Amino acid sequence: MSADRRPLLLMTPAMIWLFGLMVVPCALILVLAFFRRGLYGGIEYTWTLENLALVFDPLYFQIFLKSAGIAGLSAAIACVLGYAAAYAIAAMPRRHQPMLLFFAVLPFWSNYLVRTYAWIVLLNREGLIVNLARWVGYEGELPQMLYSEQAVVIGLVYNYLPFVILSCYAPLSRLNPEVNEASRDLGASAWTTFRRVTLPMTVPGIATGFVFVFVLSIGNFVTPALLGGGQFQMIGNLVYAQFLTANDWPFGAALSMVLIAVMLGLLMGQAVMADRASGGKGARDG
Amino acid sequence: MAERHIFRLMLLILGVVFAFLYIPISVLVGLSFNDGGLPTAWTGFSTRWYGALLTNDDILKAAGNTLVVALFSTALSTVLGTLLAIGVEIRRRNGKWLETIIFAPMIIPDIVLAIALLSFFSLLGVKMGLHTIIVSHVVFNLAFVCAVVRARLKNFDWSIVEASGDLGASTFTTLRRVVVPVLMPAIIAGALLAFTLSVDEFIIAFFTAGAGRSSITLPMQIFAMIRFGVTPEINALATLVMAVSVVALALSQRLNKGELPGQ
Amino acid sequence: MTHPFLSIRNVSKTFGSVRAVTDLSLDIAENEFFALLGASGSGKTTLLRMLAGFEDLTDGDILLEGSSIAELTPNRRPLNLMFQSYALFPHMTVTQNIAYGLEMDRLPKAETAARVSEILDVIQLGHLAKRKPDQLSGGQRQRVALARALVKRPKVLLLDEPLGALDKKLRSEMQLELKRLQHEFGITFIVVTHDQEEALVMADRIAIMKDGALLQVGTPHEIYENPGTRFAADFIGVMNFLPVSRTADGFAARDGSQMMSRGNAAPAGTPFVAAVRPERLRVGGTGDNSLTGEITALAYHGLDLLVHISTAIADAPVIARMTADEADGNAPVVGRQVTASWSAKDTHIFPE
Repeated sequence: MSADRRPLLLMTPAMIWLFGLMVVPCALILVLAFFRRGLYGGIEYTWTLENLALVFDPLYFQIFLKSAGIAGLSAAIACVLGYAAAYAIAAMPRRHQPMLLFFAVLPFWSNYLVRTYAWIVLLNREGLIVNLARWVGYEGELPQMLYSEQAVVIGLVYNYLPFVILSCYAPLSRLNPEVNEASRDLGASAWTTFRRVTLPMTVPGIATGFVFVFVLSIGNFVTPALLGGGQFQMIGNLVYAQFLTANDWPFGAALSMVLIAVMLGLLMGQAVMADRASGGKGARDG
Repeated sequence: MAERHIFRLMLLILGVVFAFLYIPISVLVGLSFNDGGLPTAWTGFSTRWYGALLTNDDILKAAGNTLVVALFSTALSTVLGTLLAIGVEIRRRNGKWLETIIFAPMIIPDIVLAIALLSFFSLLGVKMGLHTIIVSHVVFNLAFVCAVVRARLKNFDWSIVEASGDLGASTFTTLRRVVVPVLMPAIIAGALLAFTLSVDEFIIAFFTAGAGRSSITLPMQIFAMIRFGVTPEINALATLVMAVSVVALALSQRLNKGELPGQ
Repeated sequence: MTHPFLSIRNVSKTFGSVRAVTDLSLDIAENEFFALLGASGSGKTTLLRMLAGFEDLTDGDILLEGSSIAELTPNRRPLNLMFQSYALFPHMTVTQNIAYGLEMDRLPKAETAARVSEILDVIQLGHLAKRKPDQLSGGQRQRVALARALVKRPKVLLLDEPLGALDKKLRSEMQLELKRLQHEFGITFIVVTHDQEEALVMADRIAIMKDGALLQVGTPHEIYENPGTRFAADFIGVMNFLPVSRTADGFAARDGSQMMSRGNAAPAGTPFVAAVRPERLRVGGTGDNSLTGEITALAYHGLDLLVHISTAIADAPVIARMTADEADGNAPVVGRQVTASWSAKDTHIFPE
């Protein structure tokens, strides 16, 4: 059905929707980033590069680096835990795997705010952990657990860990066990086999997991707002502030633009990597 | 053997991961049934915090708004997403751009889409409210519905479409009598997924709800409440919200045999 | 040296309640090309995996040059396995795949490189050294898998259905190639196969396995010409079976005619069958035994012609093989009555 226009007809309503409410608004952000901020928070329609320059001003760029650091740390922790969990699941008898995977991903499906709130319940001054410490007889001063960088990292890892388990499980479950046996047969120890055969073949899954956790974390503003308690800002909070409190939309747009550029770069790098690593054949989510 | 050691280590971590994933939400659920409401002591089983929710007008109003948003955006995105999926799969040779545009709503960070829509609506002078939340939710929801339905279409036997045409059915009749019924489990799974995503969605709703409290949704209400600290009512509300999404998505998963894309 | 090169002693393997291999003993000589032949489920692959070290022995021992290897992990055994799926490392090039085992032996880099390039010449894949497995054809992958195992110069090379995934023409080429390599490297080869023709062509000795035990061990000639059991006779090559009954002085076919057989002492048990190979039947000739019947089908194979004869003394059509020369002189015609005869020395008797 080469010259058939009917499929296009089916696609049109959705494409109009996506074009009008995603492509155009996102393009608008790109344009907005190059306008000047108006006197009372409006937009002055003259071209400028000031907003972009401001992003790289040490004051703001430092927030960018900080966000990247927190996102990177969260992604790394999630990858280590998620890979190990996926490895264990993939090594279980086949019939138990779907169930284990289901329970590993189940929390991912509940509300993000609720999952974050659960950590407030655990970590706050009157929270469960403090109470437990008192109960076992600890009388000393406890460090502030909530409203800290660590709390934000815990929250991000907690929220995105199931995604990494999924992305790592996909290539791990597809491994041909004979390939591992071949390595053992050729004289490699179990650890060498893991390092030189299993790990390289499943690296695309780890990369997918890392990039997604990183991307979702660096632009996150809910977790820093709730678990960081305004102690420090991440890029997401900065963007939020420009639009809802500081009323500097062009700067907010410029921040978003740089954020998107970083994310696109990472996603492309990850796609190239998945392409190169044959055999692992890049993990599709789900 | 050494393989056993590696496996045991990984198994240990799996155990830690499961504890890490389930302890926080279990504590939350447990506390929501604690009569005293505080984590300091268990003072008996009670559902009174759930009762308290029913008398809280703010929460009831927010729940009503959420239901309206979720129902409308689910209905719209299910129709649009299904048609898109069928069109895309019939066409097969889809350019990179098309695939990117269809995939984008699932990976664009919420905050970016949220500010983009906020700027868009305000520059156009659109008055914001529940309707703007609905149309905004359709953007990502239709992408998820499309992904779920496409997954089903990957092993769809297109010869039955040709057979239907051969037997004299028009394109529309074939769609209605053959394609849609075969896809129904996937469509329902997609709709359930869209419904849950919409019920849970906070950031885009937050930015496109407009000023005032009239179009506040449940997640917005929860966010506002959480910022004031831990209360027994939030524990109960959080437990309810969690139960709704888990049930809806478990159902969706069941219908679709594990073809659920990640959030 | 008094002990055999490789000695499998009373080996058993059970998976849960399933007995895969039962009390199996077998000696294999140095530089021998040995084939384990059996249908799927006969335990041949389990035996091979026990030799390689991937399955623990439930009972028994395996000795190589007199010392036990049963407790060694696969990476410590001087045996290498060529996997049925080839199990090439998809993320490594041909060179890296082949060098992997040498790196594990901590060979100097220069020697590793020299040995890899040497074996690449042997398998004639030097021009594809930088390719990855998914850029190779099935035959090329098979040769890389072979080279990867062979380059370590193991004491024994185990091959699990090495030619199973190749098409027919390539398979017969590789059968001779494997024989050549085995001779050249002077390594003991143990090949597992379900293909009797492959075993006959390649092996010095064949062991037929059934239900986890050895049925018969011998040279291809012995196995083919003198099968020990009805199963072995049926499994190897084509065989005609004719029901016979015990008489005072021998055996009689269904129609009562005498069935002369080679001097086997009459085995115990009531029902018997006589077995004779198609190439031993002479259409139209005379011999110790004969049958008459109608030609029901002809199957032309180029080199030979298989004549299917429906006869009163057997349920299935009896197959006689005529060479092209024979057929030229006396072309058989479907529907015509023929007589076929054979000698007593080609007639085996088995209990049914």
